[in-house]
Amino acid sequence: MLLKISWRNIWRNPKRSITMVLSIAAGLWGGVFAASIAMGLLNQRFQTGVEQELSHVQMHNPQFLIETNINHHVEDWLQIKEQLNHDQRVKAFTGRTIVNGMIATANLTRGVNILGIDPATEASTTGLDQNTIDGEFFGESTQNPILIGNSLAEKMKARLGTRVVLTFQDTNNELVSISCRVSGIFQTANSMYDEMNIYMLQHDLTEHLGVEGIVNQVALVLHELDQAGDFAAEYGDMFPELTVRTWAEISPQMAFYNQMGMTMFMIILAIILMALAFGLLNTMLMAVFERTRELGMLMCIGMNKKRIFLMIMFETIFLTVTGSLAGTALAVVSVNLFTERGINMAPVGGDSLQNFGFDPVIYPVIDNSFFAMLAILVILTAVLTAIYPALKALRLRPAEAVRTQ
Amino acid sequence: MKTVIKTSNLEKVYNGSVAPVRAVNNVNLEFQEGEFTAIVGPSGSGKTTFLNLIGGLDKPTGGQVIIDGTDIASLKESQLFDFRLKHIGFVFQSYNLIPVLTAKENVSFIMLLQKQSKDAMEKRAKEMLEQVGLSDKLNSRPNQLSGGQQQRVAVARALASKPKFVLADEPTANLDTESAFNLLDIMSRLNKEENITLIFSTHDQRVIERASRVITLVDGEVSKDEMFDR
Repeated sequence: MLLKISWRNIWRNPKRSITMVLSIAAGLWGGVFAASIAMGLLNQRFQTGVEQELSHVQMHNPQFLIETNINHHVEDWLQIKEQLNHDQRVKAFTGRTIVNGMIATANLTRGVNILGIDPATEASTTGLDQNTIDGEFFGESTQNPILIGNSLAEKMKARLGTRVVLTFQDTNNELVSISCRVSGIFQTANSMYDEMNIYMLQHDLTEHLGVEGIVNQVALVLHELDQAGDFAAEYGDMFPELTVRTWAEISPQMAFYNQMGMTMFMIILAIILMALAFGLLNTMLMAVFERTRELGMLMCIGMNKKRIFLMIMFETIFLTVTGSLAGTALAVVSVNLFTERGINMAPVGGDSLQNFGFDPVIYPVIDNSFFAMLAILVILTAVLTAIYPALKALRLRPAEAVRTQ
Repeated sequence: MKTVIKTSNLEKVYNGSVAPVRAVNNVNLEFQEGEFTAIVGPSGSGKTTFLNLIGGLDKPTGGQVIIDGTDIASLKESQLFDFRLKHIGFVFQSYNLIPVLTAKENVSFIMLLQKQSKDAMEKRAKEMLEQVGLSDKLNSRPNQLSGGQQQRVAVARALASKPKFVLADEPTANLDTESAFNLLDIMSRLNKEENITLIFSTHDQRVIERASRVITLVDGEVSKDEMFDR
C-alpha cells in the first residue's frame, strides 16, 4: 500500500507532476539526442579517419617517417606479406608506394601525396572503391589512370578524362614527369584528405620510379580493433627494423576525439542530471511542505520514520521514472528515425564540417550502454535528491505538524 | 475496573522567551477502562499538551505516564512510534484522512502498519465502517465525503487497530450540529458496547454532556474532576 500511496500522491497535484514529468522527459530527450548527434559525428569521423584513411595498424621504414623518400621502403615486404596472409587476426592489408610530387593541369599546379596502390587490396582495406563517386575505380581502359579527390578536382578544374601531369623524383633522385588521365573521382568526409592525396596504380608508379615491387607503407585492418595495440607490439618485436604503429599512435588527435566524445557525454549528462535534481528538489520540497499536517498525522498514528522516508523516496523515484521512460522513449524513436535518414547539415552551412573531416550528413547513434548508464544515474540522482525533502519530513514534530493549518 | 493510564506528578515546562511556561503542572490522574472522559478548560489551560503527553507525542519534563505498566516517558522515539501504533487511537479536529485513499483504505492503513494480513484488514475495515454507518461509502475518497462522514471514517480508523484508548482532540469542532450529534452517538455507543476508553479534549458542551467524567484544567493543573452517571 505504501507504493500505492506514493504513486497516488504524485498525482495529487496533476499540473505540477505533469510539468515535472514533461521537464524530465524533455531534458532527457534533448540530452540524449544531443549526445547521439555528438556520438554520430565522432563515429563518422572515426570511421573516415581510421577505417578509410589510417587503417588500424601501419608499418613503415622508420626513415620514411622522417623523410618521405622512395628509397626508405619496407625491406621485408614479401616476408611481411606472407606473415600477414597467415595471421587470423588480419581482416585485410595492402602495401602502398608513396612519393611526394606535383600535379599540374592547364590551370594549376599543386603539391600532393601520390599513392601507388593495388586496387583489389586497397578496396578491401580502406573501401576506397566505395568512395569513388564519379568514373571508375581503376578501369583498364585508360593509360596511367589516376583517382583524385573531389575537392582537388574542383580546385584544379579537372574532370573525368582530364589529362594531368605528375612530377616526382625517382629512386635516383631524377625528376620524372608522366602524363595521366583522371579516371575516377573519390570523396571522403575529409576534404583536406581528398585535396592532399591522389591514387594511381602501383605498377604504373613503380615503373616510372625505376624499381618494381617497392612498398613504403603497409596498412592493415584487423577483425577486432581492440587487438591493434597487442598486434603492433608483436609485429614491432618480430620486425625490429620497422616502425609499427596503431591508429592512435599515428593520429593522437583521433584518440583525443574519442576521449572528447566521452567527456562531452559526461558534461551533457551532468547538465541533465543537475537540472533534474533541482526540478525534483523543488517539487518534492513543495510536496512535503504542503502535506505537513498529513505527515504529522501519519507519525501520530504510528507510521515510523523509515516508512515516511521510503514514501518520499518512492514518490521521487516514481516521478523520475515516469519522466525518464517518456524521455527515453522519445529519444529512442527520434534517434532511430534519424539514424536511418541522417540529418543533413549542408543547408545550414554544415558542409564546412568537411574541412574538419566530418561528414555534413550526421547519423545520430547511441549505445545501449549509454541508456543503461543513464537509467542508473537518473535513479541515483532521484534517490540522492529525495534525501533532503525526506529528511525535512522526518524532522517534523508530529504533535505540531498535525495542527498545521 | 482496570487502570488504562496513570499519570504521576506529570509536568511539562516550555522555555518561554521571558519566563518558563508551565503548560502541565503536577497532574496526577488515573483513567479506567471504558471511561468516556472530557478534558475541558479555557484556551491555554494545557488540554492539548496533556493529550500530547499521554499520547506519547511529546515528552514530559517531569513525572510519569504509565500505560499498561510502561512509563512511556522513558521510551525512545522509535519505540514511541510502535507504542502509539499498538496502543493508542487518534482522532483529530481536522479529520486528517489520507486524501488519495478510499475510506476503506484509510481504515486499513493503520492495520497495514501493524502488519496484519490482507484478509483481516479487509474484514475489520468493513466492520468498522459499518459500525460508523458508512458501509455504503467504502470506496469513496475523502473529498467525496462530508465533514461528518470524514470524521466518522477517522473514528473507524482510530478504532480499527483495537487500541487501549482513543484520544480525540476537539473532534467536533469542525462539525455542524447534526454531524456532531451523529458522531457522538456513535462514539457513545462504541464506548458502552465495546467498552472503549475515550479521552476527548473539548470546548464543546455537546461532548461534555455525554462524558461520564469531566476533568477541568486551569493553568496546567487539575481544578475539577467530576464523575457523572450517564
